Amino acid sequence: MSQQDPSTINGGIVVAMTGKDCVAIACDLRLGSQSLGVANNFEKIHQYGKVFIGFTGLATDALTLSADLKYKHNLYKLKENRGIQPEVFANLISSTLYEKRFGPYFSTPVVAGLSEKTGEPYVAGFDCIGCIDAARDFIVAGTASDQLFGMCEALYEPNLESEDLFETISQALLNAADRDAISGWGAAVYMITKDKVTKTYLKTRQD
Amino acid sequence: MNHDPYSWGRPSDAMYGQYNNAIANAPNTLEHHSSGSNFNENTTRPIVTGTSVIAIKYKTGVVIAADNLASYGSLLRFQGIERLHKVGKTTVVGISGDVSDMQHLLTILDQLEMENNYDNDEYSDNVDELQPSYIFEYLANLMYHRRSKMNPLWNALIVSGVDSKTGKPFLEYVNLLGVKYASPSIATGFGSHLAIPLLRKLADSEEEAAELTLEQAKKGIKDSMKVLFYRDTRSSKNYSLAVIDKDTGIAYDNNVDVEDMSWKFAKDITGYGTQRV
Amino acid sequence: MSPQHGSQPIQHQFNPYSDNGGTLLGIAGEDFAILASDTRQSVDYSINTRLSHKIKVISPPVTKEMKLESTDIVGTKNSVLFGTNGFSADGDALTKAFEENWKWYVHDQNSNVETGFEFLNENNEEKESFMSMQSAARNVQHLLYGKRFFPYYVHTILAGLDEEGKGCVYSFDPVGSYEREQCRVGGAGASLIMPFLDNQVNFKNQYIPGTNSTERRKIEYLSLDECLKLVKDAFTSVTERHITVGDGLEIFIIDKNGVRSEYHALKKD
Repeated sequence: MSQQDPSTINGGIVVAMTGKDCVAIACDLRLGSQSLGVANNFEKIHQYGKVFIGFTGLATDALTLSADLKYKHNLYKLKENRGIQPEVFANLISSTLYEKRFGPYFSTPVVAGLSEKTGEPYVAGFDCIGCIDAARDFIVAGTASDQLFGMCEALYEPNLESEDLFETISQALLNAADRDAISGWGAAVYMITKDKVTKTYLKTRQD
Repeated sequence: MNHDPYSWGRPSDAMYGQYNNAIANAPNTLEHHSSGSNFNENTTRPIVTGTSVIAIKYKTGVVIAADNLASYGSLLRFQGIERLHKVGKTTVVGISGDVSDMQHLLTILDQLEMENNYDNDEYSDNVDELQPSYIFEYLANLMYHRRSKMNPLWNALIVSGVDSKTGKPFLEYVNLLGVKYASPSIATGFGSHLAIPLLRKLADSEEEAAELTLEQAKKGIKDSMKVLFYRDTRSSKNYSLAVIDKDTGIAYDNNVDVEDMSWKFAKDITGYGTQRV
Repeated sequence: MSPQHGSQPIQHQFNPYSDNGGTLLGIAGEDFAILASDTRQSVDYSINTRLSHKIKVISPPVTKEMKLESTDIVGTKNSVLFGTNGFSADGDALTKAFEENWKWYVHDQNSNVETGFEFLNENNEEKESFMSMQSAARNVQHLLYGKRFFPYYVHTILAGLDEEGKGCVYSFDPVGSYEREQCRVGGAGASLIMPFLDNQVNFKNQYIPGTNSTERRKIEYLSLDECLKLVKDAFTSVTERHITVGDGLEIFIIDKNGVRSEYHALKKD
């Protein structure tokens, strides 16, 4: 109990995928304390205008980081009088995380959104000190990231329509979570297209 | 005269200065003497060592090389130690790592060869002559057995040769853990980082090795030995080179020198080599 | 006291293990079984070889008649496909130990009844006997547990046909816990591939469309072709994301005709 890895205390996963004119981001709903399940309604995806960010890792840091980014997003809107672009937000997160280079937040965020100008889907992931991974296909994070990598690498194909992308990201998340003892307990999927965002709760195992 | 047998035959303090036990955490054996009973007599670290052995297969055989240096830490302790050894008629074993363990292996291999010779003279049934694969199997079993007793022989071995019946080139590796593998090119120690990339460029598969000529293979090995001498501080210019060919048998030269060196690059290296000041 | 002064000798322990990477995968079908592995052997960041064999086909002699039916047969239908992954020296040693047991077992089963005791063989049967998969599995448990306090550092998977001719896969932890399963992945890529197999072999999290996620998709046996596709997909995927997996894919397939093998190149990076 004395020495533990902060990024695996609470458990949880996030995954994001790009499709044809759409982007999806999904998370599980568990919050735990090691093996003890504490909550089954802990949503890891937060919305900032039209940009969605999922936070995995240490829950307290995820919440702190989320609040800090909300503050910075508000200031941005005030200054610029416009919404923030996902790519810009990714850089904001990166510098926010790097500020704490030698005492980092134990959280690895995932950004998903559509670029306002081009309509291009954008996803990006980070390590806990702000290194950006702007992949063109998918981003995974959390305690079942290995499992998610395996699922995504096998199931994903580029340019999926939103219905197919929804099925792909859902199956990737569900099956990855089922092979991780500290992920699962419910799941939520956001499907982001040009003119609407849908949020769907998935039926999951409850063990 | 120093009457403690421990210091006999060792580098004298007068010549080399007081030996620093802190280097490589060497035990102070004088103190071990007095501490008396049950101290560990297993090899827990290599003392006098030989660096890389490298080898590559070609169309009709194998080329193998190792330098003739035995180091004691950073000291170039013995400069005439051969680390390639002929066993039987068509096998050469290359040994890196601890030199005393190597010499122990050599006495075992000598016995093995002698027994086999007795079984092959005119008075006895002609049993199989020693093939590289037999010698390898024996050594691999020995290495794994010793590691399983937590008393390893601190070496990495490369067994090379040709099967005298089929004429097929043989090349396989085994180390102190008993981990073994075969590959068209094999190197131990630093060689696995510096020589293997060069050798795999020549032949990355058995099919490619079967197309390689002796000249190409030899050049690859010689170039690799040069690169190793450039970058491995524990290597020497003088090395041994053996060619085992199915038609011409073993050609062994224990006195080859690295040739056509160019140290021009050295003057530009500052610090770790990336800065240009 | 500083350790250099010899009063307290520094403990430098020899580490008898290493991690040689790689992945091993077994799937059981209705009347066949597959055992597949990559052919890379590595240690730390170095690739030792691009062609090592983690799977051994342990088989009774292949007869000429079987060879006539198909030339690429490498074992009979009574073979045990034996795969190990982890510390390769232990894997090789375990494979050898099992092979030895298997040979003596088969020999003893088939050795002729002593002269004068022929009546014990009532039906005067000439039938050859082999080692069943469940006996093989139990024997492997004993081999592994026999080294409980200095374990073989390997994940072991056996594949073959059970006594009804159905495909079977047995998987073991390093100290001999084992289970018969439909499918199992071991080694470095296990965490990446296992959820994929849950999904595609056992249809986990799949529901029948239009039932509002109330009716599960029924599990059914996959065909050999479907299984082989999954195996290749799984290995190309894990090769992409795991550094110790790659170079080549070796697949062994056992069915009523015997054992055959396939080789496919994987990325070498």
